[in-house]
Amino acid sequence: MIAPRHILGTFDESLAALRNNVLMMAGLSERSLGRAMKGLVDRNDDLCANTIADDEEIDQLEKQIDKDGVDILLRFQPVASDLRRVVSAMKLSTNLERIGDQATTIARRARKLNQHPSLAEVELIKPMYEQAMSMFKDSVDAFAREDVDLGCAVVTRDEKLDDLNHEASRKLIERMAQDPDQLRGYLNLIFVGRCLERVGDHATNIAEDAVYAAAAQDIRHPSLTATT
Amino acid sequence: MVNVVMTTPEQSVTERIERPAQPPVSAEPAPKLTFEAKNVSIWYGEKRAIENVSLDIASNAVTAIIGPSGCGKSTFLRALNRMHELVPKTRMDGTVLLHGEDLYSKTVDPAIVRRRVGMIFQKSNPFPTMTIGENVIVGLRLNGVRNHKFLNERLEKSLRMAALWDEVKDDLHKPGTSLSGGQQQRLCIARSLAVEPEVILMDEPCSALDPIATAKIEELIHELKAKYTIVTVTHNMQQAGRISDYTAFMYLGRLIEFGPTTKIFTNPTEKQTEDYITGRFG
Repeated sequence: MIAPRHILGTFDESLAALRNNVLMMAGLSERSLGRAMKGLVDRNDDLCANTIADDEEIDQLEKQIDKDGVDILLRFQPVASDLRRVVSAMKLSTNLERIGDQATTIARRARKLNQHPSLAEVELIKPMYEQAMSMFKDSVDAFAREDVDLGCAVVTRDEKLDDLNHEASRKLIERMAQDPDQLRGYLNLIFVGRCLERVGDHATNIAEDAVYAAAAQDIRHPSLTATT
Repeated sequence: MVNVVMTTPEQSVTERIERPAQPPVSAEPAPKLTFEAKNVSIWYGEKRAIENVSLDIASNAVTAIIGPSGCGKSTFLRALNRMHELVPKTRMDGTVLLHGEDLYSKTVDPAIVRRRVGMIFQKSNPFPTMTIGENVIVGLRLNGVRNHKFLNERLEKSLRMAALWDEVKDDLHKPGTSLSGGQQQRLCIARSLAVEPEVILMDEPCSALDPIATAKIEELIHELKAKYTIVTVTHNMQQAGRISDYTAFMYLGRLIEFGPTTKIFTNPTEKQTEDYITGRFG
């Protein structure tokens, strides 16, 4: 949705800069997650190192977005949809930073796995990655396009990711019992799965914030009575 | 588990998510009303200042009226105590009920209405020839009260309610105009309280005050609503957000939207309201 121009041009500029930084941060986090997984699947240590190095840039953007958000709240005291956009942008940056952290953790685990013979069980992680990445991309799309339906749809997909994680963990634990020599490797894969499950949780948070920004509806914790 | 279900566009987002059955939530009781304005239109000569405004004002709450200059908010405020009639060639249509009683009935004396419904103006206006004490009790004196003990008691009570007593108790004999701008405004509030009104109307009461004096008036408004119904006009949206329970948005003489302040300032229903409060008007 394109809002009419604000009477204060500087407000529109500040809000646009905030939004652009959020989208840039989302792009960097997405790239890091993709590189970390490619580093794992292709056993590529360089990609893992790039992912770990890029995390600093994501962290810097998080601080910048928080600073810019507080600055907008202080200078313009936005209300209604403007207020929701600023608050949501600041909350998004926190979740994006954590997705960047999960990517870094995956890259670190991948580097450890790459020091040993490859494990066929990496295939168990791939469906989780596809599910988590698609949730992540769609949640950012929901925010960027203020698409309420897409945001709601992302929330419902988290359960499948949780199921995939439980299933992969169960199979990996079985393999640990069958092949104790590879125990560390299977353990690292379990941790990678847990990281992807957390990515899904952050994508869900982003989708919920996107819905709040677009429609002022709080869809978190639906078992609680809505207060909006 | 949450599932998105296909629904009509009219349904809210939260309604589109399946959720476990909830216990029924009892509806909040309707607030007690002080004013019921129905289809109020006011003309100044040929010019129609407000058009078919219907608005219920809840008791013991602060209602803020916002809108751009010339939208009719001050005219509507003045219609609540018939003060607009002081402008020549004024005509009014519609009804205004105060606790169910028609304020515009032929049997109602406008002077009595203005005593029941006090008003605070943008610029503080203490009587320049009177002392601080005389300013507070002038309304009672004009109504024939002569009992000194009663007047002194009411003087102290009014100044205390206006949060001014501690600052002026030793200077009651000094001119009202010797006070600072913020103190003068609180003196005017004390003067209004002295005649024990049922309602206090405020027309941009803080627009000429510094932030400290503004904060004191806002705190006072918050305290006074326990006893009085307050209706205020303000151009300061942040102030409306801070002090009011309900907000009405007017534009070009019409009431565009009215509702709880939190709703108006986070998710207004009307696009005109959204555009105005977010600074995208015109």
